[in-house]
Amino acid sequence: MRIMATGTTKPSTGSRRTAPYVFVAPAVVLFTLSIAIPIGYAVYLSLRTVKVSGLGLGQGARSETWAGLTNYARSLTDTDFLTSVGRVVLYGAIVIPMMLGLALLFALLLDTDRVSARGFSRVVIFLPFAVPAVISSLLWGFLYLPSVSPFTFVATAVGITAPQPLAPNLVLFAIANIAVWGGTGFNMIVLYTSLRSIPTELRDAARLDGANELQIALRIKVPIIIPSLVMTSIFSLIATLQVFAEPTVLRPLTNTISTSWSPLMTIYRDAFTRDDIYSAAATSVVLATATFVLSFGFLRVVQARAFAQETR
Amino acid sequence: MRRLLRGSLVLLASSAMLLTACSSGSSGDGTSNPSEKVELTYWSWATNMDKTVQVWNDSHPNIHVTVNKQDGGDPAVTKLLTAVKAGSGAPDLMQAEYQAIPTMVAAGALADIKADLGPDVQKQFSPGVWSAVTLGTAAVYAVPQDSGPMMFYYRDDIFQKYGLTVPTTWDEYAATARKLHAADPKAFLGTFSATDPGWFVGLTQQNGASWWGIDGDKWSVSIDSEQSRKVAGYWGGLVQEGVIDNTPMYTPGWNAALNNGTQVGWLSAVWAPGVLAGSAETTVGKWKVAPMPQWNSGAPATGNWGGSSTAVTAQSQHKAAAAQFAAWINTDPAAVKALATVSSVYPADTAASAAVLTSPPAYFANQPDFYSVVSKVASTANPFTYGPNTNVAYSAYNDAFGPAAQAKSQAGFLTALTRMQDVTLQDLKSTGFSTN
Amino acid sequence: MTVTALEPPARTASAPTARSRPGRPNLLGTLVLLIGALYCLIPVIWVLTAATKSGAELFSTFTYAPSTHLWDNILNLSAYRDGLFWRWALNTVFYAGVGGVLSTVVSAMAGYGLAKFRFRGRAALFNAILAGVLVPGVILAVPQYLLFAQVGLTNSYAGVLLPSIISPYGIYLARIYVSAAVPDEVLESARTDGAGEARVFRSIVMPMMAPGLVTIFLFQFVAIWNNFLLPYVMLGDDRLFPLTVGLSGLLNQGAGQPALYTSVITGALLSIVPLVALFLLLQRFWRVDIAAGAVKS
Repeated sequence: MRIMATGTTKPSTGSRRTAPYVFVAPAVVLFTLSIAIPIGYAVYLSLRTVKVSGLGLGQGARSETWAGLTNYARSLTDTDFLTSVGRVVLYGAIVIPMMLGLALLFALLLDTDRVSARGFSRVVIFLPFAVPAVISSLLWGFLYLPSVSPFTFVATAVGITAPQPLAPNLVLFAIANIAVWGGTGFNMIVLYTSLRSIPTELRDAARLDGANELQIALRIKVPIIIPSLVMTSIFSLIATLQVFAEPTVLRPLTNTISTSWSPLMTIYRDAFTRDDIYSAAATSVVLATATFVLSFGFLRVVQARAFAQETR
Repeated sequence: MRRLLRGSLVLLASSAMLLTACSSGSSGDGTSNPSEKVELTYWSWATNMDKTVQVWNDSHPNIHVTVNKQDGGDPAVTKLLTAVKAGSGAPDLMQAEYQAIPTMVAAGALADIKADLGPDVQKQFSPGVWSAVTLGTAAVYAVPQDSGPMMFYYRDDIFQKYGLTVPTTWDEYAATARKLHAADPKAFLGTFSATDPGWFVGLTQQNGASWWGIDGDKWSVSIDSEQSRKVAGYWGGLVQEGVIDNTPMYTPGWNAALNNGTQVGWLSAVWAPGVLAGSAETTVGKWKVAPMPQWNSGAPATGNWGGSSTAVTAQSQHKAAAAQFAAWINTDPAAVKALATVSSVYPADTAASAAVLTSPPAYFANQPDFYSVVSKVASTANPFTYGPNTNVAYSAYNDAFGPAAQAKSQAGFLTALTRMQDVTLQDLKSTGFSTN
Repeated sequence: MTVTALEPPARTASAPTARSRPGRPNLLGTLVLLIGALYCLIPVIWVLTAATKSGAELFSTFTYAPSTHLWDNILNLSAYRDGLFWRWALNTVFYAGVGGVLSTVVSAMAGYGLAKFRFRGRAALFNAILAGVLVPGVILAVPQYLLFAQVGLTNSYAGVLLPSIISPYGIYLARIYVSAAVPDEVLESARTDGAGEARVFRSIVMPMMAPGLVTIFLFQFVAIWNNFLLPYVMLGDDRLFPLTVGLSGLLNQGAGQPALYTSVITGALLSIVPLVALFLLLQRFWRVDIAAGAVKS
């Protein structure tokens, strides 16, 4: 074992050796209790199933047994689940570029001196982050209703038919809009923080070379904050794969959102509505694995960048 | 270093103490000394159930019941089943909808309280209702609380305005729907709700369908029966024609439509006045109730939408006391009166409720014979058997009928029914239930 | 070298020449920014006006037409089951406040341990925590419930609080902040002066990363405040509910009892007010440097 600090000959070496373990101990204990063991338990459950005998009534009519990989086989061939994955991929293709595009645009504008109302806009655009997804879905859900919607109101006033956001061809966008609304501000702050740490000399030099603000933004600022863009993309990707609250809150308002609209809704339905926690656990493991495959590689790349200086 | 170690230990210990201090364990100690005070918890979502229970608490100092208000029937079942899996966390008493009883019994969630109930309890209920709490077995899993016989509610003022007559058959209902929609293209006589499987159950039950059945030691599934197909095809036709709406019920939009007169009728259950009083408060005095339109006017029938019972959970440490309470709240005259007047349910104990329900609900003050219509209808409910995976069939209803209703396709309605049948039967088989 | 390494480098002092060059105000940029702000305000202004409407006005008057029933609505909401709403509010403050503080301390200790020490298992631990960032909550909630039930922690404050303390994301951020804000030399010189590890952490590390700790606290506070699934699964007794679970239950009941809709909307408004206030008060701490945190000026 190598202690990081070199060249010290202090008597407290023993303490230095145990100190890191003490510092990380609470986190390790809690991580184990609240995350590691539950994950292990979910994997265990995914390999189990319940077998019922006869009518299944009365005590002792059902027993838990090993299922091998049958739950996984069922998940991976379940058309409901596969459809929900496809739907969420499409959903992500709308949400992530929209949300990050807007976040980048706003962040760049906030970082441009000649733009006014920056303080106000920054606070207001960040505001949705303070609204829980359950509440924001509730608010948008009301605003989508023809009898409440300001757009229907205006459209009726001028004599045209407003599109129904919860109609089958638009419901994906209706849900995406809630996610974009809730996520843009946070990502804007992340990107803005990165922009603020760009040394002033760089942009001044560019400006002296005759570059305009747009050129400075595209050629200097954006390339420098690419690590932040990658990170925000990854977190957005994870959030997209986990979309749950928005469609769940909107579902009772319309015919167009099924109980298996997103992968997590399928998992929730299996675990709670269908009382089949074993299939739900298997689907969870599949989804978590897919999330890792999609994002862990990226993360490692970014991690290498982020900590490059420290570990050098 | 030692100070650091001590510091982090103190942090952990103090947070552990904090947590212990905060946790509110509620499990009983398992002993049942009759002189000791017993604490029971009761999950219910009925209106003002805590006030109805107060009547019991005032007269029974040794058995105290605390009501934990639930969001509704489905979330409560979900929680109970999860608690069963976890081995703790269930209440002593549970409001159980009839359609959920087989599911809960199959999960081992409910106790057989036959031995704890007096022999007189059964006599208070009609055989049809009683079979829903025994599932046709020798056990008793709950005491019936209320039932939901379906009726036809309509806006009397709008019927008069357009010269419509109250339909007594489904053919007349369709003709009335067309006539109304022609007179006012924004108005509908009703809506097909793809988010209310219990409503659709009632409609098919009226036509003699029973989605599950017990055949010896095997379950049968007949969701896709001739009787159901006739009902699905009928509604699919009206939705496709555009004379019946496809907005789900119980949405803000539907509530608004009840208020502004674009939903002119509602096929609902006896508890509808409570809902209308909230959803359509501005139209009080304009509604009337009539028996359901009939498939066969020679043999009037109806179905049930909703209805629930009081069950004792298998985890309860005080089953005898809980069973005593379950029998009391559903059969004692004072309790039945409180149920009917305070909690606004239609008690399943028809004899006791007839003595109480002499005047119409406040919302239907304009129709003094409200409860005589109800009692005439209630006895015509067809028998219906629920299965151990009603929840699966119900979520399949949502998923299959939603797109069909949205697409306004009669063929889609029939395909949706077949899809429900397949999903439900397949689920029973894969869980290992014996089926034919 | 300073605590302010976390804050954006102060630009005011440096290079005023190019900066102060007079230029036309960027009207297009301002307009785009204001449209973005307007978009973000659509539902916020609606909840403000809708909370002043009576039940009947909710579906009949123009979306943004205010009315006069705010106080009635608040009274109705407060009257619901003897003020249950305010109990939910207190619960939420408790979960988010206590959970946020404990989480920040745990994250700071772990972040410091990971950033400034080399020890066996460090890489494995850090990878495990990164993996933890990726695990969806819904996957954890059910097994957490089943395991907590074994030890009798379900349907209690602890059942919600305990899993809220561990925040892989908080640890990840703390590690970045320590790396950026606490130079090794400072630690070494303190140790040379004879300070013990506990004292180094408490008297030097914590103050130097204080702004970062506030950010971590705010993060976790908001995360717990907004959490829905964990308390929903974990709690049966509605006196223990946080606002999100309580309001969503009210909304479900509202389907059959629409008078509750105005209560739900008023409750939604009241529940976001404290968070918005917190944001405005502490907005200078919202500097979230998740990728380039190690860049030192």
